[in-house]
Amino acid sequence: MTSMTRPKRAWLVIAGQELRELWLSARGPVLVLLFSLLLSVITYLAAADKELNILDQRQTVNLVLQVTLAIGVALALLLSADAISGERERETLESLLLTPIPRRDIAIGKLVAAFSVWPVIILVAIPYIWILREGGEIFTDAVLVAPLIGALLVVAFASLGLVVSTASSSNRASLAVSFFAFVALMVPTQLPLKGWTGDALRYTNPVTAGSRFIEKVVVDNHSWGDEVSLLIAPVLAAVITLTAAVVLATRLRIYGGFGR
Amino acid sequence: MTGNGTERGQGEAALQVRGLSKSYGSLKAVRDLSFEAFRGEIIGFLGPNGAGKTTAIRMLSTILPPDAGSFTLGGVAHTDAIAIRQRIGVLPESAGYPFQQTGDEFISYHGRLFGHSPARAREIGASLLQEVGLGERASSRISSYSRGMRQRLGVARTLVNEPEVLFLDEPTLGLDPAGQRQMLRLISDIARQRQTTVILSTHFLDEVEQICSRVLILKQGEVAAEGSIADIKRQTAPRAARFSVPPEMHDEALAHLAKAAGIAHAAPANSEPGSIIATFENGWMTENSRLGMNSAIRALTDAEVPILSFELEGSRLSDAFLSLTEEEPQ
Repeated sequence: MTSMTRPKRAWLVIAGQELRELWLSARGPVLVLLFSLLLSVITYLAAADKELNILDQRQTVNLVLQVTLAIGVALALLLSADAISGERERETLESLLLTPIPRRDIAIGKLVAAFSVWPVIILVAIPYIWILREGGEIFTDAVLVAPLIGALLVVAFASLGLVVSTASSSNRASLAVSFFAFVALMVPTQLPLKGWTGDALRYTNPVTAGSRFIEKVVVDNHSWGDEVSLLIAPVLAAVITLTAAVVLATRLRIYGGFGR
Repeated sequence: MTGNGTERGQGEAALQVRGLSKSYGSLKAVRDLSFEAFRGEIIGFLGPNGAGKTTAIRMLSTILPPDAGSFTLGGVAHTDAIAIRQRIGVLPESAGYPFQQTGDEFISYHGRLFGHSPARAREIGASLLQEVGLGERASSRISSYSRGMRQRLGVARTLVNEPEVLFLDEPTLGLDPAGQRQMLRLISDIARQRQTTVILSTHFLDEVEQICSRVLILKQGEVAAEGSIADIKRQTAPRAARFSVPPEMHDEALAHLAKAAGIAHAAPANSEPGSIIATFENGWMTENSRLGMNSAIRALTDAEVPILSFELEGSRLSDAFLSLTEEEPQ
């Protein structure tokens, strides 16, 4: 044997490879291009046709942020949902499991690649927010609050996707379950939430809470401190799902499931 | 290529397996598997489909935990999975490849995963691709590789850590004859030059006869036979002999053979004129094979029937394999 040492920080090697495959292949750039086209249409309709646009500038910026959030979360979720079960289906997982790197490092490396979607998406969105801004204050609020909420939700959803992917023996099942979870958590943001059940949902669903936080800060011009309770669900969701993804990854198997 | 490897018993075993078992629910995939493998030897890991070969390899490569039993590899206990993985190379039966990567990117990446620095991983990658005959295609995408090239790339990947033991699960499956020969030569070279122990799982028994020093035959998860190819062949006695005689003397030869001592019956072989299959009496060849063969040959030579060719049916590894692994009719 050569004078090999146990690989240290192997997650960096995995992350580097995953990032190259995502951003230096067509996959990542095409997704970003499509997102950019969507934002262009929204911005054009909002900025060019004042008569048709029934939203004020703050609401328009909020709309762009909510769309950005939804797309960023969806992409991170689907990338991580494919991360393990996709390798399993493409029959490349066994080679990876045969390397001396801890399973946890595989999970962390793949999560880092999924997280990378968010900074790229938010960077693409910033020029559109700049165009739609009215005064410096809304721009500052928007570019501070959206990355934070987005980061928490992207961590939560990407980690959830990885847990599902680790457990799934089929990639199709992993993507379907993850997408269903995304829709189920995203739908309440579009519903009129009233009464105590509405409040409960607003504060416990991390997407609803995060979305509401952005709206309060950007549209209603509230301070962060006024709405800090809305941050609890996104923070908890990020911490719990990330921990679950990393812990359960130690039981990553060649087939699905978490058994022996 | 001929039978390769170090003689059994020389030096410390590279791999020692003791009572390894694995079940999937009520199905016992591997039962009480025990064997030893020495440095530089190539062991044929044989068995019909579902015999437990892949499960055994997955246990020995730490992909699956055994239900019972243990093994040591290079002196390392099976419970230290990371240390075991540092000492083995595995080419799984269904190995997928990232088609968008080039050959050198693929090997370098795996070199990094085994703890090599980026520069060293690239250096090793270039050297290994040269060794497996892919040097000129190193910078081509894997999607442009033929099946044989991908298999050789897979072998190169298994060598990035200079393994002590190499597990190859059906490495020649789907290859054309030239590709098969190339792969066998490569495996043989790896065992000889690197003194790597190779566990070769395959259904192609002629390959085993060409390059393996020993075989281990599994049947329904249990070891049905283990030993050198000659030992295995000896465990199953020849059942019949095929004689080729001039077509015009066919009937005469048939009559003489039918009357020869130890011959249960003689019948024309269906396909070839002048060819006769003489079936030995049950157990007779086992007890005195030399006498039995001589008796049949003498019956023809005494009658002055020229023997154009003579071959013992059942003297090949494939015959022994079938005899050891075929189910008894219910």
